[in-house]
Amino acid sequence: MTCESEPVVSMRGITKIYQSGSKDRTVDVEALRGVDIEICQGEYLAVMGPSGSGKSTLMHIIGLLDSPTEGEYILGGEPVVGISEVELARVRNQKIGFIFQAFFLLPRLTALQNVALPLVYRGYNDAKRMSMAKASLAACGLEDRMHHFPNELSGGQKQRVAIARALAQEPELLLADEPTGNLDSHASDEILNLFDHLHNEGKTIVMVTHEHDVGARAKRIIRMLDGRIEA
Amino acid sequence: MNLLENIRMSLSSLWSNRLRSFLALLGIVIGVFAVTAMVSLGQMATAAINNSLESVAGKSIIIQPDYHNGGMNFTRLTEEDINALSMLPVTLNPQLNVSGFYEKKPGDRRSIQISGTRGNLPKYDSSIKIAQGRFFSDEEARGGTAVAVLNPKAAEEVLRTSNPVGKNIRIFFPKGGRADLKVVGMMEALPAMFGGNQPLIIMPTPFLWRTHPDVVRGKFDFCVLKVKGNLDVNVLQKQATKIIESRYNKGTFMIESTESFQTVLQSITMVLQAFLGAIAGFSLVVGGIGIMNIMLVSVTERTREIGLRKALGATSQQIRQQFIIEAVTLTTAGGIIGVASAALILWLISVFVPFLNVFILNPLTIVLALSVSVLVGLFFGVWPAARAAKLDPIESLRYE
Repeated sequence: MTCESEPVVSMRGITKIYQSGSKDRTVDVEALRGVDIEICQGEYLAVMGPSGSGKSTLMHIIGLLDSPTEGEYILGGEPVVGISEVELARVRNQKIGFIFQAFFLLPRLTALQNVALPLVYRGYNDAKRMSMAKASLAACGLEDRMHHFPNELSGGQKQRVAIARALAQEPELLLADEPTGNLDSHASDEILNLFDHLHNEGKTIVMVTHEHDVGARAKRIIRMLDGRIEA
Repeated sequence: MNLLENIRMSLSSLWSNRLRSFLALLGIVIGVFAVTAMVSLGQMATAAINNSLESVAGKSIIIQPDYHNGGMNFTRLTEEDINALSMLPVTLNPQLNVSGFYEKKPGDRRSIQISGTRGNLPKYDSSIKIAQGRFFSDEEARGGTAVAVLNPKAAEEVLRTSNPVGKNIRIFFPKGGRADLKVVGMMEALPAMFGGNQPLIIMPTPFLWRTHPDVVRGKFDFCVLKVKGNLDVNVLQKQATKIIESRYNKGTFMIESTESFQTVLQSITMVLQAFLGAIAGFSLVVGGIGIMNIMLVSVTERTREIGLRKALGATSQQIRQQFIIEAVTLTTAGGIIGVASAALILWLISVFVPFLNVFILNPLTIVLALSVSVLVGLFFGVWPAARAAKLDPIESLRYE
């Protein structure tokens, strides 16, 4: 498919080969065997597939946590294959908002401090960080939980803090890895409703999941099998 | 992200692990405490010894025969030598030191130190103070009058009284001679370090010349040249040497200043300080290894945090910086506590230990102790921080 404006993610022929095994007997594992994908501005996309299909690897490469063995990747108009580690960190910080299955909130920081954390690496001053983090928490309906520590929050609330953290970065792309995997059905619903809301606001969302009813909430589904996109 | 931000982050992370941070810090505290205390105690001891040396001898030069060169036939100073030296701006105090005996009970003779002086000793040597009576005058001395001044020990041992003034005292010389003298005064006791525990009797030199079989008329054992005012001891020492060497062969007399004693003393205490400091330094290394250990534990424990920070846009450099700053913050805090507790203990020592009554904590020692703490943090923090920095974000996020 082609996008109306510049695509957020544009991948051509992405492959990923891991070396696994011991030092003298390595085995090449082909996790991705040539993936072409284009994700447009404002899309709500689910990547689905069984374990071992390569969906996690694809997500890591989209999120710049991993680099492809071959292929071309343009993120928000910027080619990102082969750029330096420092540049990768900067692009991650500015363009990618991660949402993890296990939330990954720092336990000794309050919700507000957790949300402000990525902005620390952007060099913003304290006041700017706090105002952005507050706005972001409010957008996720957590204005009354700002000074709570993660262990004082429910699972759904924790994930909403994590989403607020991603939103605070004002990224090109929200990248969610099994965002409901650790939540009960009620909390899952709460999160998926929030995703719907964010989608309506025009955010670009990529969600990796193996749960069909979760994937079904997205507007477009990509199925992976054996390192290739099926449909 | 700036340094201040990183320091704030380190502090909050250290604070959230208070007990562990404190225990890790303890090694550094003890190390810095030991080094600071050892070095400063050495300086306090040196100062204390110098002070008592100065109070007893002042700034002075001592001329005495070089017993090593002369063997048994060493050359003694004469009255002519003293006259030649009198052109220098010094107070001359030529003395005789001989031994004699007193009779504790009939037949029980004990030795007593005899000092011959040319007159009113307190005038020449400010460390000599009269406790009772008076010192014999220069005139009495010149006339060889049989008068004596005792130290308290001699009064107690020989005359069995603490009020010896006006009493007669009998002293026996080697080879059978003896002398009866009238006690005119008792001096204050000298510190034990300078022989205050030995019985001592001071009498006019001419009296000794006349009566003691072992001394030769007109000769002295040694001469103390007390420097007047703020004159340079070293210059006067050179001038005195010149005068003596114009009259005798080089090496006949030893001419030393109290300053040269102090130099010797200082080099001894310096070696001692360095030695003790080095031993204490080992505890700093042990403390540093403790810091490294705790940092490695912390890196492992916070693997997921490191992965998250990288995912959120931290560079390896920023992660490394964070952990090094944590280590340095720990050791610096340890250093500050160590120096502070050393200062407290040293101050208590200076208050409660009479001999070490001068409190010394050199700013240089503080600067040195603190910079060593920072360096220990840097050195032992580098490896754990490098491990943290090179963690792979995907692996770290998966770490359980």
